[in-house]
Amino acid sequence: MDFQAIADHLSVAKVPGLLSLELPRPADKETKDKGRSGLPYVCVDPARIADFLTFCRDDDALGFEVLIDITASDPNAEDENLWILVQLLSVQHRQRLGIKCLLPKSALSMPSSTSVYRAAQWHERECMEMYGVNFEGHPDPRNMLLPDDWPGYPMRKDYEFPKEYHGISCE
Amino acid sequence: MTSPTQKDHKPSIRPADEARVLPSGEREFFMDVATSDLEINMGPQHPATHGVMRVLLRTDGELVTGAQPHLGYLHRCAEKIGENVEWLQYLPYTDRYDYLSAMNNNLSYSLAVEALMPELEIPRRGTLIRMICAELNRIASHLVAFGTYGLDIGAFTPFFYAFREREWIQALFEKICGARLTYSYIRIGGVFNDAPPGWLQEVSDFCDVFEEKWQEYYDLLIENHIFVQRTANVGVISAEMAYDFGLTGPMLRGSGVDFDLRRDMPYMEYGEAHAAGAFNVPLGTGEKGTVGDCWDRTQVRMVEMKECLGIVRWCLEQIEPGPVIGDVPKVIKVPPGEAYVGIENPRGELGHYLHSDGGKVATRCRVRAPSFVNLAVLEDLMPGTLLADSVAIIGSTDIVIGETDR
Amino acid sequence: MGILEEAFEENVLTTRVDWLLNWAKLNSIWPMTFGLACCAIEMMAVGAAHHDIDRFGAGAFRATPRQADLMIVAGTVNFKMGERVKRLYDQMPSPKYVIAMGACATGGGPYFKYGYTVMKGVDRIIPVDVYIAGCPPRPEALLEGLMTLQDKLRRTPVIRKPARLLPADQA
Repeated sequence: MDFQAIADHLSVAKVPGLLSLELPRPADKETKDKGRSGLPYVCVDPARIADFLTFCRDDDALGFEVLIDITASDPNAEDENLWILVQLLSVQHRQRLGIKCLLPKSALSMPSSTSVYRAAQWHERECMEMYGVNFEGHPDPRNMLLPDDWPGYPMRKDYEFPKEYHGISCE
Repeated sequence: MTSPTQKDHKPSIRPADEARVLPSGEREFFMDVATSDLEINMGPQHPATHGVMRVLLRTDGELVTGAQPHLGYLHRCAEKIGENVEWLQYLPYTDRYDYLSAMNNNLSYSLAVEALMPELEIPRRGTLIRMICAELNRIASHLVAFGTYGLDIGAFTPFFYAFREREWIQALFEKICGARLTYSYIRIGGVFNDAPPGWLQEVSDFCDVFEEKWQEYYDLLIENHIFVQRTANVGVISAEMAYDFGLTGPMLRGSGVDFDLRRDMPYMEYGEAHAAGAFNVPLGTGEKGTVGDCWDRTQVRMVEMKECLGIVRWCLEQIEPGPVIGDVPKVIKVPPGEAYVGIENPRGELGHYLHSDGGKVATRCRVRAPSFVNLAVLEDLMPGTLLADSVAIIGSTDIVIGETDR
Repeated sequence: MGILEEAFEENVLTTRVDWLLNWAKLNSIWPMTFGLACCAIEMMAVGAAHHDIDRFGAGAFRATPRQADLMIVAGTVNFKMGERVKRLYDQMPSPKYVIAMGACATGGGPYFKYGYTVMKGVDRIIPVDVYIAGCPPRPEALLEGLMTLQDKLRRTPVIRKPARLLPADQA
């Protein structure tokens, strides 16, 4: 199914958490809109992400058995939201779905999806250490790629590169 | 309790008449020893961990009761770099995550950028050369997987044979782009430069020679009785487990799931190649043991090497003279938007998520690395196996730590 | 060498003994398998049959630092790995040598500017004898680095005073 069919199926089934769609659009000089190219995304409420993913996995028409990716993105330092992006793949129906959640930086907490897909565990660990997002209910919230005592959240746009670590200069 | 080397050690053995007689006729002796599980560190410097990975093993004698991979020893901040350098300047960094299949990494990134630039046209010759290079790189990568897997198991010979063919492929790549390992050849809009005269003929010669050699390597290692005993019925991943862990690539196909991004969600001209019968997708069938064991995965990789030759030959027939790169400006400014494009890397699905706000520099460059996802399966696969099997299991996942840590 | 090191004045006998000791050392440098990243693949290619490192006597790659003479740091060293590199270097018995292979081990490589956890060169924690440039260096470049190390060994007096590197014509 193409994206519009998937989106219609989701809204007809009244899936919990579905908010809106982000579709590509051409640039518009009159409204000074630079447009949006690329692929479409479904916007989902972060508090209901686990239910949404459960529906996507268990529904017959959608059948998204494979979780490809969970990541986060900090669009810019002034923006008040952090984006959480989920990518799903359906092997039986050969289709993909991109999901976006907007998480306010002042309340960076959302439920974990590890109960739905086991693959989410490591992806969420990486988000936690790189962006400081708190996934509630995650079974193993250790640092994944960074050393255990690394200060700060490196992938945020307002991150300052450290000057030294354990006595060795970082310059 | 004292150790046997100390002077006042009294071993506690039950008297002989209390010992049982086993069905084989032997007498059973008991020594009251208290044991506890041993925690051993495997890595980060270890000949069999395929790079710098640390696995904390908890073992009860030879039996592994727990395994915890620790990563981050090669974390090179590729995603942060992606937010600070220009679009084309990021291309050499893409080579370096999965350094064994650098062409495929370049391809994944270029396709993702091109998904954001829909008016950019890539000429057909560029696409076909991209496919030839990607498939040759797949062969080279699987050769390393085959050679080093033999090395882990204890077979030294396949390593030298694998590297012999790999040197030829690297010489071919050196002729076309000047580098042996990290090419930065597949660029946004096509490929960097055209193939020198005689290159296509040499690729064709390579295909003919490799086909004979392939059969030798298959009989040397994959059909070898010792190799089969070491890898069959070891590390079995069922299809449900594969889905749950998000596995892709040979890990998924080894468990019997018929899914290959080149055939089922085709990009470039793989769809036409498959329709013309150029390649098939091998699956794990449980021939020597259970479906989804280490032997199946290794066999899938070996047969994939042969199928790559079919794709290369199809491209060589189809190729015609023409330009190799589209009309790309010197400083690329990608229109605002976001896209995720995933391609079939030798290890699984390598995807790039790119977010652009219209400038020269990406706002977010996320790399979905297959080895990172494939590695998570070790936590559930290794407990319950013997220590020697853990090496076989790690080798069969075919991870590259540059990709795991990015 | 212990008490014999730098114990004797220069004369014909000690010169020849030094030459013999150095000849034995430089033709049997056993490296440790310390491939970290992409340069490790070129190191493996050097170990394979086409560019054979065994003809230099250095083909016996030992996995344990206790039995190795040479640590070829092939690849990027980051802070998490750097502590282990230092520990492994300390575990190697004297005389020990280090080759920093590739741009990353020499000075941080392409990750110099924005790599926050990358150590800008392995010589911040261990003393390096030979630097090899390249990203990754060709196998022939690694062999030349090995030959440079052999040259350095040839010119190092062992039982003679003075304990400094002699010019090439006095070796």
